[in-house]
Amino acid sequence: MTGPALLSFGETMHDLATDVEVPKEGQNLFQLRSLSFSYADGHRALQDIDLDIFPGDRIALVGQNGAGKTTLVRHLNGIYTNQAGSLLYKGQSIQGDNLIRARRQVGILFQDPDDHLFNNTIYEDVAFGPMNQGLARDVVDERVRKALERVELDHLMFKAPNNLSLGQKKRAAFAAIMAMEPEVLILDEPTANLDSRQEKIFDELLLDYRGTLICISHDLLFLYGLCSRAVVLDHGKIHHDYSLKELVSHRASLREHGLDFTFRFIDCCHSSESHDHSKESHEHTESHEHSENLDHLALSQSDKETAVRIITPPMESVPDEKSQVIRLENYSFQYKDGTWGFKDINMTVKEGEKIAIVGENGAGKSTLAGCILGVKQGSGKYYFKNDLIMHSARGELWRQIGMVFQDSSDQLFCPSCEEEVAFGPKQMGLSPLELEKRVTEALALVKLSGFEKRVPMNLSGGERKRLAIAAVLSMRPQVLILDEPSANLDPRNEELLLHILHDLPVTQILISHDMFFVNNSSHRTVVMNQGSILSDLPTSDFIEDEHLVGHQLDYAYKNVCGREIMKMQEEVENGG
Amino acid sequence: MHISDGVLPVSITIGTFAATIALTAVGVRKTKAESLPKVAVVTSAFFVASLIHLPLGPTSVHLSLPGLVGVLLGPSAYISIVLGLALQSLLFQFGGITALGANSIMMGIPALMVGWLFKQLKGTTLKSHAIAGALCGFLGTILSVGFLAALLYTGGEDFLGVGKIAFVASLPVSIIEAIIANFTVIFLFKVKPELLK
Amino acid sequence: MAIVAIIIRRLLKAARDRKAGHHHRHEHDWSVPVIDACSDLDSVFHKWDPRLKIFSILVYCFLVAALTKIIWAFCALIISLAAVKLAKIPFRNTKRRLMAMFGFLGMFLVIMPLTVPTQPGDLLLFFQPIPVPFNVRGLLVAIRIILKAFAIALIMEPLLNTAPLPVTIQALRHLRVPDMICQMILLSHRYIFVFLNEANRMYTGMRVRGFRQKTNLATLHTMGNFLGMLFVSSFNRTQRVYEAMLSRGYNGTFPVYTDFFARPKDWLFGIAWILLGTGLLLLDRTGAFIIW
Repeated sequence: MTGPALLSFGETMHDLATDVEVPKEGQNLFQLRSLSFSYADGHRALQDIDLDIFPGDRIALVGQNGAGKTTLVRHLNGIYTNQAGSLLYKGQSIQGDNLIRARRQVGILFQDPDDHLFNNTIYEDVAFGPMNQGLARDVVDERVRKALERVELDHLMFKAPNNLSLGQKKRAAFAAIMAMEPEVLILDEPTANLDSRQEKIFDELLLDYRGTLICISHDLLFLYGLCSRAVVLDHGKIHHDYSLKELVSHRASLREHGLDFTFRFIDCCHSSESHDHSKESHEHTESHEHSENLDHLALSQSDKETAVRIITPPMESVPDEKSQVIRLENYSFQYKDGTWGFKDINMTVKEGEKIAIVGENGAGKSTLAGCILGVKQGSGKYYFKNDLIMHSARGELWRQIGMVFQDSSDQLFCPSCEEEVAFGPKQMGLSPLELEKRVTEALALVKLSGFEKRVPMNLSGGERKRLAIAAVLSMRPQVLILDEPSANLDPRNEELLLHILHDLPVTQILISHDMFFVNNSSHRTVVMNQGSILSDLPTSDFIEDEHLVGHQLDYAYKNVCGREIMKMQEEVENGG
Repeated sequence: MHISDGVLPVSITIGTFAATIALTAVGVRKTKAESLPKVAVVTSAFFVASLIHLPLGPTSVHLSLPGLVGVLLGPSAYISIVLGLALQSLLFQFGGITALGANSIMMGIPALMVGWLFKQLKGTTLKSHAIAGALCGFLGTILSVGFLAALLYTGGEDFLGVGKIAFVASLPVSIIEAIIANFTVIFLFKVKPELLK
Repeated sequence: MAIVAIIIRRLLKAARDRKAGHHHRHEHDWSVPVIDACSDLDSVFHKWDPRLKIFSILVYCFLVAALTKIIWAFCALIISLAAVKLAKIPFRNTKRRLMAMFGFLGMFLVIMPLTVPTQPGDLLLFFQPIPVPFNVRGLLVAIRIILKAFAIALIMEPLLNTAPLPVTIQALRHLRVPDMICQMILLSHRYIFVFLNEANRMYTGMRVRGFRQKTNLATLHTMGNFLGMLFVSSFNRTQRVYEAMLSRGYNGTFPVYTDFFARPKDWLFGIAWILLGTGLLLLDRTGAFIIW
């Protein structure tokens, strides 16, 4: 399936980004005054929210994890009821008939599509909304088909959701909302865990939508093309409410809210140099040029985080004498149903090296990681530290290879952080004294010291990711595999993660489709596509490779976006 | 341990079905309408939990967890048990469709009893919760095997031997269920205590 | 004697486990078979109006469950096998169903002959090392149960596997099963797979940090945590699913999509099954042909 054509940059982004929405005269759609809400456990999620939302607004709702964004949007269709203050939809409070109206006209797409797909076929899921809207069966049928065609899932209409991929599920859930033809569309992290091609598909789908749009996301670049107004939430309060363009221009504000994504453009920090990125080498031997910018950027951070400054991690290439840690020869993996995960892979990893494996969702990256880890068994030769790994030895690889899964929830199952981090070493049979030492050490490495007694489930997303890393590091692995480590992290946590990984001397295999992350954290990049390795080259070469576009891995679009924003930021800092 | 088709006399089969329908109706009335979808989803979790096997010497055992169902769902436990059994019957054919009524009684009534018991005993501290959990886990399983033996006995004296042996054989499993329930309740108390309310 | 029986039972279970392939020390595979995997084939059963299908086959099942003589139970088994063949269900599905009952029924087979009270007219066999007599009547009782259990289990395949699950459940609805119950079955079924995936991933996560199941307290501690995590995650999930349902206008009832049309053929087929079952039962109870 060919993806949508690359959006021509000038056409769409500027249209929306330059319009600063002027409040329209007349009725506002939503009116929130002094709205407050606390959860049952006492956590005050929203405090004194004053907000007006007008028809046609395209709002980016941003803020750190836990700021209250999800809580806020759940008020807008009546799922939550405000405990103080008032909330009016179309001039009336959300109850009774107006509640029914709100539910029918306001569509929310939650982050996890499995929450939306609760019927046994996609058809039924998409039809659920329209049927509840009271429409006739033939009208519903038409809407369902139209919606599924729009997201290119009509061939899967009568399939069960169980067998769909994540990208397909997201589109199906989106179709289920759109079939209701909502006047207001609210999206909660729509592009979480999607690769860039899937993201683009979503982008295209959303640009078509003409109603009122509220989008929650960490990805400011994605939002930049979509929204014009930015509402920033911080600890349950609205901190800023102005145009998105203004927000991204002020790097200081971004920084303050932990939204600064500019660290991703390491060479964009050079305010004095020309922006000819395509030719510029990404190896920085001197870091003093950054000092002027650093003071500017090292603003005070909130409580627990240590001050994180932008630095460019110098990526020296690894000397050849280092021994090979992992070597795969003609390695293939076949799924139970006969399809090939990947075929005839040849790959080596040297000690101390940090390699990135990139590719679309479904290219075989995670399967490859599983084979390296010993969880999956393929055919071919697999050498770990020059020992051929046979079937029986697979079960012991965990002692030397640690893997951090994409979803931290898959790895956290203990009632306290210290138990969690101690789990691995415990299975190794270490003494209680040694266990304690390792726990303290590992938690310190991920900047979670003092978290021993906390409950993992109650930590924020970024903290959980770091806890998962600590739980693996406490086993002192020789090789660390990270599967999409930056997925779902807000920019501040992503940056922190980059620093943590950079400081770790362990051999690292990084699986990601986040080009910026890869750029900043690996020596070498291996590109996989549909089960085979397309190229294996130093990261700096990879980033400049024009073939990127062909692989639909291109982030040129985003890079261009990013440069636009950089320019704006500099204008503000230098002139404004 | 589920009773299969063809074991019980007709009168018992019909009788237990009638009782199951009645108890399910009571359960539905006691559960708020909006909670019913929630009960369904939690039942899936129990279903998956029952697939997990634990080692016991040379073999492994599957847990049926009627105790935990009672602890977590309270009055809605019966519905969950019926639902779970129906799904097991549909998917795995563990206990026949004609024995659904009997199996529901066998596991559902202990679940309800144990759920009530937990509420009385749980107290406020971690320790009291844990002990209550262990006790309920144990009783849940032992009682259901007791019901099993009783139901088998309705088939006549011939089945007495089987019933007695099943009862004795279930002791190790009951102990394991007690220990598991204990640890699970401790976990829940620390992580999400509102589930134990 | 009881101890002997328990040991035998344990061995049966171990044998069953070995057969089921627990030799994969490095992998675990909890999987759930799909109910309606064969629902897109074509046969008499597939074309049958699901409402009539369900009603008549269920009646048939209850009639078979009431049989008391081996000969007729055996006939029922043959009929079930024929039905499976007619419905074009592959053998491995039926094998799976039969294997699932192996433990429970195996227990009967072994224990009953050794524990039934001796009645006048019983044939007793004595095998040298075993102190207790082997009662042939007990064996026959066990065989009768096994035949009936198999007969009913096998007929479940043509019943359930010949239409997509939602259609089968809709049929139940038309048969006056409460709406809510039907929806709950569908919801549960849907989320089994979601939780199964989560559980599998989490268990893998545990294994890659070195967890191996052993018979000790630490294993139980970890598994207790594992179950706890599963439940917490499921409760969170239910909350979110419920909110998603509300957001799409859920008001307590689920919409209905399918209409059923019963042809005269369907009625005839249904009546045929009921007559078949009734016939078997009559033959059974009137003691025609053979004694046992």
